Amino acid sequence: MSGVEERATLTERKYNALKSNFFKKGVLIGGLSGLLYGVYSAFLTLGMARGIWSDWYGANTAGLSAFVIAYLLSALGTSINDTISGVWSLIQAGLKGKLKDFARTMRTKPGWIMVLAALFGGPIANTAYVIGLQMAGSLAAPVSALCVAIGAILGRVLYKQKLSLRMICGIALCFVATVMIGGNALADVNPQAALGCAISFIAALGWGIEGCVAGYGTSMIDFEIGITIRQCTSGIVNTLIVVPMFAIFAGNIGLAPSLLGQAWTSAPAMIFFVISGFCAMLTYSFWYKGNAMCGAALGMALNGTYSFFTPLCCWILLGLICQEPGWALTPLEWIAAIVMFVGILLIAVNPLSFFKGKIHEEKSYAGAEG
Amino acid sequence: MPVRKAEKGVQMMKPLNYAILKYFTKVDKASAQDVVKALQPEYGSFRALNEKAVLEALLTGVENGLLEEAGHTLDDHDNVVIYFHAPKSGADTINAYIKD
Repeated sequence: MSGVEERATLTERKYNALKSNFFKKGVLIGGLSGLLYGVYSAFLTLGMARGIWSDWYGANTAGLSAFVIAYLLSALGTSINDTISGVWSLIQAGLKGKLKDFARTMRTKPGWIMVLAALFGGPIANTAYVIGLQMAGSLAAPVSALCVAIGAILGRVLYKQKLSLRMICGIALCFVATVMIGGNALADVNPQAALGCAISFIAALGWGIEGCVAGYGTSMIDFEIGITIRQCTSGIVNTLIVVPMFAIFAGNIGLAPSLLGQAWTSAPAMIFFVISGFCAMLTYSFWYKGNAMCGAALGMALNGTYSFFTPLCCWILLGLICQEPGWALTPLEWIAAIVMFVGILLIAVNPLSFFKGKIHEEKSYAGAEG
Repeated sequence: MPVRKAEKGVQMMKPLNYAILKYFTKVDKASAQDVVKALQPEYGSFRALNEKAVLEALLTGVENGLLEEAGHTLDDHDNVVIYFHAPKSGADTINAYIKD
């Protein structure tokens, strides 16, 4: 082999290694977003079971109505978590010298598109999910998991991202896995379930829109600035609009400041909210970055592993560490995790490439042919 | 008046990622190294202005159709250098979202 040929071979080898590393990093970040979503959910659940929350959800000496317990407290928990997460994001942006860029971004069109995406995925989707959960029971979880498919379709339609038949099959497998984790969902069908499912679908739309639009936005906006916009928007809107809105529906606007005050000053709970807020910052920023690096289809599917990681982390934190009963994972959930893994693999890699030995060249960003 | 103009100049400074993408609407093709050099005078104090971070931003731009690869080679230290350019559709999108 001549010197020129050797150099050409070395160039191609190094180029393929670089591209492969970029792809693997995207997959790792997307997967971490799913894992950290589970960690964040576990700490949020723990926080909402400590301090004043243990009374609200337990003895209820405050005499809160069933509506307040079902809806307002969920919104309250999200508002505190997202506000703390926004503060963490601002601290991170400050430490990395990105605060001025955050302010500059907020004066631009992409910055405001991120705000809109945050509104869809934050207050709107979360509120729809909470209502859906109350009306349709655990059916809400698989319906809302359609956000992966919605994000992938929107990515295809809006941004011409790759979506082959193989990737669609992978997304379908991920959805099946989520339905399996939903477990007894079909047993929960009740007269309100259809409406609850429709409302849960709004959550799926919101998260699908957010994942797709914010993921694309992260190709223009630094992901740590993007997440600062997301968490600050969600924290502010949840605190100033969603919580008071539910208080008004409960017939007493005064409940909003009263419950917010009690929750924010409940130290035993706030310790866990500080941790959940930090994890929320990480999981959402990785979600945005993963979607930007891998495209919405793979990014959303990787993030969708939260439907397995959430019960797993709750089992570890609440079941094993805190010794609370009822958090053990069922064998079906473990099987679902494997199905989900296969689904993600199908989205990411063409199985035929295993036989061809060209996994890197056939990876999803070049996999239009399916 | 010059003071006001200078103030306006400071206000018009773009976020770093915008400046990176916008650069490709003004050149035919460039590598991460070229981008870092070109933006050094204005963004030299930004910790994120380094080859590794800029290359990641450019590859992300490719993934989302804003940029395309325009060849690759090895530099004197045998590090691979990828060149990027903005296709018309990508440049139009960048210009539509990121104003001068």
